[in-house]
Amino acid sequence: MASEDARYRQSSQFRLWSFSRSELASLREKANALARASISERLSSTSSSSTTANKNNHDRSASTSNANTPDPEGSAGGASFRLPEFLTVAEEALMVTFYTSQLLGAGEAAGMSDEVCATAAAFFRRFYITNSIMTYPPQDMMFVALFFGCKAEGHFPRIGDFLNMGALSSIKKQPEEILAGEFLLCQGIRFAFDVKHPFRALIGAGMELRRLGGIPEDRIRAAESRAKQILRFSSLITDAYFHYTPSQIMLAALSHADRGLAERLIHNTFHLPTAPIKVESGADTPVDGVPKENNARKDRANEDKAAIIGQHIRDRVLGTIEACRDMLSHEMPERSREHWQTKEIYQDLVLPVKKKLKKCRDPDRSNLVALQRARREKALKKSGGSEDGGPDDRATAGTKGDDAGIFGGDLVQRDSKRRKVAPGQGPALDDPFGGPL
Amino acid sequence: MSRKAANGARGATATAAAAGGSSSALPAISSDDMCPVCKTIRYLNKDMEFLINPECYHSMCSNCVNRLFNDGPNQCPYASCNKTLRRRGFRAAFFGDLKVEREVDIRKRVAAVFNQAEEDFETLRDYNNYLNMVEDLTFDLVSGDDASRSKAEAELQRWEAEHKADIERNRKAGREAEEITRRRLAAEREAARQRRIEAIREAEDEKRERALSREQELDNLAQAADGQRVQLKRRGQTNRATAAAVDALMSSNSAAASAAMASADVGRLSIRGLKEKRKPAAAEGPYDAFGGMDFVPSRYKLSEDLNVPWLDKYRIARDYVTGGYSFDEYTSRAMYEAFAGLGVFIEDEKEVGIGLDASRVSAISAGIAAVGDKMELD
Repeated sequence: MASEDARYRQSSQFRLWSFSRSELASLREKANALARASISERLSSTSSSSTTANKNNHDRSASTSNANTPDPEGSAGGASFRLPEFLTVAEEALMVTFYTSQLLGAGEAAGMSDEVCATAAAFFRRFYITNSIMTYPPQDMMFVALFFGCKAEGHFPRIGDFLNMGALSSIKKQPEEILAGEFLLCQGIRFAFDVKHPFRALIGAGMELRRLGGIPEDRIRAAESRAKQILRFSSLITDAYFHYTPSQIMLAALSHADRGLAERLIHNTFHLPTAPIKVESGADTPVDGVPKENNARKDRANEDKAAIIGQHIRDRVLGTIEACRDMLSHEMPERSREHWQTKEIYQDLVLPVKKKLKKCRDPDRSNLVALQRARREKALKKSGGSEDGGPDDRATAGTKGDDAGIFGGDLVQRDSKRRKVAPGQGPALDDPFGGPL
Repeated sequence: MSRKAANGARGATATAAAAGGSSSALPAISSDDMCPVCKTIRYLNKDMEFLINPECYHSMCSNCVNRLFNDGPNQCPYASCNKTLRRRGFRAAFFGDLKVEREVDIRKRVAAVFNQAEEDFETLRDYNNYLNMVEDLTFDLVSGDDASRSKAEAELQRWEAEHKADIERNRKAGREAEEITRRRLAAEREAARQRRIEAIREAEDEKRERALSREQELDNLAQAADGQRVQLKRRGQTNRATAAAVDALMSSNSAAASAAMASADVGRLSIRGLKEKRKPAAAEGPYDAFGGMDFVPSRYKLSEDLNVPWLDKYRIARDYVTGGYSFDEYTSRAMYEAFAGLGVFIEDEKEVGIGLDASRVSAISAGIAAVGDKMELD
């Protein structure tokens, strides 16, 4: 195994945030399904509880109120209340892509560096793999991601300065709206703050190309600038970061810019010719022991070498890069202006989904500031210790759920843990002092 | 002389002080805040200095001395002191007590005359008798009454006249001895100085040595190839021989101890439930912060000529170059990023096990690869 690959495998980008296509699709479906389940539950409970008891308002969790108030009709509450139509996975993906393009545009307008924009976009897309667009509002999370991207890349603007950066001053956001989502974002990206980008890799490729020699400087420069354009948009707005490593993305972008250069680089890297097929001279031709051992060792070394820079691996790399190139070609940099920022697209594609989203979003989580305040109060109450008499399962479940939510490794189970205050879901969560009267 | 005697009898303080000295009232110089002649007080003249003349040991301030004796010899300004003093004779008193000053002067004078050494006498008894005689004479001179003093004075002069040659010889010998002593002392001082210089130089040498070895250690650390153990020289372990000796001693000690343990083991009575002494943890070797990861690039080579034209200024321009940062760091990082993960096929690797972490995935893939290899070999 090549040492560079071994090192890359240690990164959080590979360990936590690289998926195969099917895996990614299933994750998104799960997130979508979980969001549907929890939102429909919350919507129905708020609507029913608001008819029965008015005191259960916003800051008490809806499901808790459901647990506390006797519900004589059972699920009949849903009968009087019609669930909205939820977004599909494809629609969610469209929204994420749309808001990613918005994010990139905002970052560029605010004069942020490529790394900051790219990191923010990666954070944003990562966040919405395990969280649904319907759960947390993307138009808020987008700026949270930008703000946190600044921090992750080593720029530390004050929140006030951030909101005054270039074009960001026109968005009319309050500082607390950004800050409220910060920790949420960190949880969503599983505290993996280091995003590996292909930008520096492109410079490395330029170095290698110049070292090879025989290529006109103009050609290299043109290819580099075009590839950089692609890296600044295409790779960020697609799922390339989840499916390919930065060097593969870089080579794919380079091959878009100048196919010859990219191929030359790859051919030059994986230059070892395929070893001739070994003649089986094992048992029937007794040879002197020592040279045989030597041969074996040499073979082993050759095999190792072939596994690193052999031709067979070259073909695989070429295939992967071709696939990545294909993915990038769906979103060439020109589409930023010609597609995503046009009115027609917004009217025809985005707006209907947005309208739909307005109806089906999570009633508890659409307001990040209120959500954070509620969580703080809950934490305070918990540390205060005594809650008035009644069943305390919300606090206990909250502890467990939060801890697991913060550091619990399982990417998929998290949402379900958050929901486990639903009545009768587990025997442990039933009121230890007997059911409500 | 007779006048002097009369003076001595009259002064009240002089009776004790006395002394027979050539003068009567010896005012204590300790009350030296006021000049007894011009009545100037120290408050008015900070630099006031009192001088005496060995003729009569009357102290007065230097201003008075200048005023009175500049024009030649004059009478002592003290009432009833009729000594004629010269300016040349005035000096500052060494001792605060003028009686002591005077005795010391007399003893100096006597010692200059009676300067026989022990070896000049035949027996010790003779020498002691001689010393006794000298001391008696000195006492008469210092504190005898008028008659005895004049007698002693006469004796002194007589002795001086009689033994002129002896005195001269002894004086010369004494000077030589003095010279020798002086030279010896000078030599000692010089030797001490040399030693000090030597010590300073040694300290500097040691300091330089230490700095040098430290630099060398750092260089070794920086240049050592990966995986190669760098032996750090412990500070102060310059004397390798002694260290080795200590090592040998220790090992022999431990060997003896283990032998003793073994012999004790044979006849040892075993008690059940007794806690086993915990064995010291086995040495794990040097700590590797990177967990054995290999940092040698396998797909590319780092070389000097890796560069991009527009980055040249960071390599050369003095505005950008700074200590501790080498542009090669940047090139190596860029090259690493360009080639890291080229052979990582996420599509395949992550498909193997959903929910498995990377190490297990890679282990599985390695296992698969191994199996594949074996099958190929067979």
